[in-house]
Amino acid sequence: MSIGQWVPLAAILAPLIGAAWIRVAGPGRCAGAAVAIGAVVVAFAGCTLLAFIAGRGASPALALIALVPPIHLTLRVDALGALFGLTVAALYVPATFHAVSWLRDDAYWRLYHTVALACLALMLLVAFAGNLVTLLVGYELFSLVSFLLIVHRRTPDAFRAGIKYLAYVIPGAALTLIGTVIVFFAAGSVGFAPGGLDVPAGSAGMLTVAWVCLVFGFGVKAALFPLHGWIPDAHPAAPAPFSGILSGVMVATGAFAIVRVAYEIFGPVRLEALGVMPWLAIPAALGVVVAGVLAVGEDHLKRRLAWSTISQMGYATLAASLLEPRALAGALVHLANHAFIKGGLFFAVGAVAAVAGIHRVSELPGLSRRMPVTAVVITVLAAALVGLPPLAGFIGKWWLVTGAAEAGAWPVLTVLLLGSVLAALYLWPVVFAAWSAPPELRSGSPVRRDEPWNGMLAAALVTAVLAVVFGVAAAATGYPLGLAVRAAAALAGGS
Amino acid sequence: MGAELFDLRPALAPLVSAICAGLVMLVGYRPGWRAGLALAAPVLKFGVVWSMLPGALAGTTYRISFGEVLPGLAFAFRVDALGLFFALVSSTLWIAATVYALAYMRGRPGQQRFFGFFALCVSTTVGIAFAENLMTLFVFYELLTVCTYPLLMHDGGLRVRRAGRRYLVYTLSGGALILAGMLLVWHLAGTLSLAGNGILSGVDSRPALLAVFVMLTAGFGVKAAIMPLHAWLPSAMVAPVPVSALLHAVAVVKAGAFGLLRVIYNVFGVDLMRELGYAQVLGAVAGATIILASIVALRQQRLKPLLAWSTISQLSYIVLAASLLTPAAAVAAIIHLANQAFAKITLFFAVGAIERGTGKTRIDELDGIGYRMPLVMGAFTVASLSFIGVPLLAGFITKWYLSLGALEAGAGGYVALLAVSALLNAMYWLPILYRAFFRRPESPAPVRPVSLMMRLPTLVCAIYVVILGIGAEAPAMPFVLAESAVRFAFGMHGVAP
Repeated sequence: MSIGQWVPLAAILAPLIGAAWIRVAGPGRCAGAAVAIGAVVVAFAGCTLLAFIAGRGASPALALIALVPPIHLTLRVDALGALFGLTVAALYVPATFHAVSWLRDDAYWRLYHTVALACLALMLLVAFAGNLVTLLVGYELFSLVSFLLIVHRRTPDAFRAGIKYLAYVIPGAALTLIGTVIVFFAAGSVGFAPGGLDVPAGSAGMLTVAWVCLVFGFGVKAALFPLHGWIPDAHPAAPAPFSGILSGVMVATGAFAIVRVAYEIFGPVRLEALGVMPWLAIPAALGVVVAGVLAVGEDHLKRRLAWSTISQMGYATLAASLLEPRALAGALVHLANHAFIKGGLFFAVGAVAAVAGIHRVSELPGLSRRMPVTAVVITVLAAALVGLPPLAGFIGKWWLVTGAAEAGAWPVLTVLLLGSVLAALYLWPVVFAAWSAPPELRSGSPVRRDEPWNGMLAAALVTAVLAVVFGVAAAATGYPLGLAVRAAAALAGGS
Repeated sequence: MGAELFDLRPALAPLVSAICAGLVMLVGYRPGWRAGLALAAPVLKFGVVWSMLPGALAGTTYRISFGEVLPGLAFAFRVDALGLFFALVSSTLWIAATVYALAYMRGRPGQQRFFGFFALCVSTTVGIAFAENLMTLFVFYELLTVCTYPLLMHDGGLRVRRAGRRYLVYTLSGGALILAGMLLVWHLAGTLSLAGNGILSGVDSRPALLAVFVMLTAGFGVKAAIMPLHAWLPSAMVAPVPVSALLHAVAVVKAGAFGLLRVIYNVFGVDLMRELGYAQVLGAVAGATIILASIVALRQQRLKPLLAWSTISQLSYIVLAASLLTPAAAVAAIIHLANQAFAKITLFFAVGAIERGTGKTRIDELDGIGYRMPLVMGAFTVASLSFIGVPLLAGFITKWYLSLGALEAGAGGYVALLAVSALLNAMYWLPILYRAFFRRPESPAPVRPVSLMMRLPTLVCAIYVVILGIGAEAPAMPFVLAESAVRFAFGMHGVAP
């Protein structure tokens, strides 16, 4: 029993304790903010430690309680889990600072922190799940709990978005449960094993049903193409810091779960044999293109970014569906980098909305005068998302593209490049508008600079710095690239 | 298998409650004595039942016999894993229900009668759980009908009388069917013992077996509210809330479900049931009940009828699970006795507390109730999420084993059916939660303070729902007991299902 076994539990419990504290003790605003930030930082520290531990190979599993005997709630840390867990926790640090500023005059700020911290704990449970049932528990619970954040504003729009969200997520959860039960029935186990499980009892038809259930179930979260409907509504409705989390890591949870299921439950060999991967690739590719096109035509800033998320998630799913280690590494790096880039964009856009009251692309002109730092941040992050070297977005795309080329998947390559062009098309107008002259200037009235130095700006700035660092020093940091390559090697190595 | 021990406790358990009930009838005009004795009945029984748990877990079977009524047919009690599980569930819940009832009934007329019969029901339920043979079970089963009738009729009035009549017609007809079936079993097998796993296994006559199956399942199916035998249950909602809780969670419906389990596992036995194939029909009926009752529940405007229809749907989970005849499904059938009971009684308690606090009984009057009664609605939330099947709550465990059992039985369609049922559950529970927590009331009516004796049992039962959901190893509700019952029914030794 090594001490490392207990670190994931500590990382999960820290935000839960913080959440309970804020809920039960009812601290004042300053103390509450301090507790929330403290809990997130502890979780972040734990995840950082786990990333180092996972660098030396997967940790032994820690069985917690017998949930449905013989299956236990189990925690285990491997490179994939550490990569995802660290991404979640790392994005939560700026997000929590952002939230503290954003919620300055909000009556429900305690509820926000409580639920956001609970979501963090549950997402870490997903990341460090040692078997499919544990993953399912974390996944279903945070899906349900995050409803409270989507409807945080209590406006009719927010409720409509929240109910739409539930209408997608609950059937999705039901499907994942069906898939999980079939897996357990067929394999007699739900533990993750590189290369997939043995399935003595499963026929090809049954396994295909299980695969379809799991992919559709998790695909609801992963913004897989026909299941993406809730995303463009949920993002504008949610509070800005949570929009960042939603797009950055919560959507990625679905993709993460699909990777887990594909590589460690079914295994590449069996998936090839079943011939189901094209059926994942086609909706993913459609998502990349269709969502990209819709983003170009969208005026509402947050909705445009939400469409962009759907498109970008399509990249990762598409790359994972190639069953090729290099493309998988690219997908994982892209998931991590996208988390910071898109999270940062939402933080910045949230700050713009909160300070300047600007919600639409057409209202952006003059932003560079009013909020110059924010405008720079948006520009950097947009460039990173498009994939300009040497920024972070480029690294993931480079691995994706070279992986697809190695696999000889030319249609995939085409889609990836088309997606990048679309990203440039929907982000360039944003940048252009932000830097163009305001209408007031033409009419002669001066534009005041009103850019408060607060958590919102700091959060956006930090993610922009990360987007640069993870691009320029991709090889040196060991995260996310090093960890992703290691995870991909471990996942593919078992086959 | 462990030893069979002669022990007084199987008889003591029903007896102490019966004595307390008798004393309530005698000296119950004094409120203090009445409350004390009403509470003593379930607490004493609880103690007696629990004292047998360590032995039962070690494999000991306790039994006691009171002489033969007919040659070879004794009035006897025997505590096996299945019976003890049911007794544990009912005795645990009964304490909560009694505490709740004491507060709920305060100031109402006829309390002496009420608590007398309330305590008597404890006695009969544990008698059903511990019955050694079908006849003993039948006697207590009929007594339960008789004892619940005055409780149901407590408030009086035309609607109540009509509901009471309907209840009697349904349950007594069911009882008559059981009696007929029992006589046929006696004739065919020469024994009514529930100690084995299949007393009818030596019988060849298919028509006779079919007759027995139809009579016994229809008979017990009345109380288990299988469609189309369910109509008494929604109309019985006119009773006071603690009685409804009793009918729907603890005693009556569970006695029906428990009787069905006994019929399938002990009278016919799994092997014979598989051979006959009648269970598939029962499963189809139960499956239809699950969906249809939920659809009706979707259309309800009032809370109590909603709970009633939800109960009908949930009970058929047990029936479906039992009819699948696989070990995992049997685990689901047995633990759902507990899972449904704790979650449903929580809901009833919450509804009663809301009724007491605000006088509201309609769903559309509940706007903002979550802020005014946070504790009660918190419990309500936990219980309703459990029915949807949210992980870490009791309902998830049932759903898991039941789905697994359906796959084992090669009936994958039921897995989809369960998913649909979960969605339907979400469609009628979540709107209530939405109203309670996210809508602002138009005119915030004042909330009368609700006694702690009503809120505490609500909370405790909700906590149980969580414990049942996370702890297969929970000390309070031994999962191992269900497992050992399953192992016995399926003739497995030492293998986990």
